[in-house]
Amino acid sequence: MKKIKWTILTFVVLFSIGAAFATRPKPYQTLYWYNGSQYLPAGTMGLNYVCQTPSGNVCTYSYSGGVYTPYMTASAYTPIALTTEKAKPKPTEKKGN
Amino acid sequence: MLKRQVVLECIAALLILLFLYASVSKFLDFKRFIDEMNNQPLPNSWTPFLVWGIPCLEIAISAALLFEYTRLLALYASLVLMTSFTIYSIMIIAHFFPYVPCSCGGVIRKLTWPQHLALNLFYVALSVLGLVLQRRKSFKPIFINKHSFV
Repeated sequence: MKKIKWTILTFVVLFSIGAAFATRPKPYQTLYWYNGSQYLPAGTMGLNYVCQTPSGNVCTYSYSGGVYTPYMTASAYTPIALTTEKAKPKPTEKKGN
Repeated sequence: MLKRQVVLECIAALLILLFLYASVSKFLDFKRFIDEMNNQPLPNSWTPFLVWGIPCLEIAISAALLFEYTRLLALYASLVLMTSFTIYSIMIIAHFFPYVPCSCGGVIRKLTWPQHLALNLFYVALSVLGLVLQRRKSFKPIFINKHSFV
């Protein structure tokens, strides 16, 4: 029983770590947000902007080889009300959404 | 008795799978995890504690689940942690906060908040079941069979 237990648990540990590596996203890079006409650097999340999803479904984009690719998509989020006055970050000119 | 032990091992394996995967995913993309934590509707001053505290706690729970003599403690910790996540998910879904943030690391990031809640509830239930089985095992009566002491 003990041998089986340790075999299973060792497999689970290795599988968990392997799965984490396998699903690792691309290395972190500068992110951009789209203001409707151009892409702007997104700043620091939680300080300059928040990723939320009232309307659009892409929060931030990554840039590589002249192409902007959706990085943090909002399609998975629960769409709810717009940010209110009580929202943590002050909405400034940098607002990823 | 053997069946209970098998169920207990399966529960421990599932919890280890979740906690270890989630914590390693966070450490592998730590910068992004910090950003995501900042993005949560919690004070940013909590971020340094949360970004180190949560993954380290998850790893500690996973390690403690491996060994028989620390498993009960690990199951309690798992229950507390998963209940906290569940309450947080409920608060998000109930629009308690001014906005709905994105979620945590790995493929779990792709889940919606209601799916997160379902996953959390499942793991809360697993932790409770594990606790019940482990406690029964740990505190089993000494005089199960009077003939065993003859």
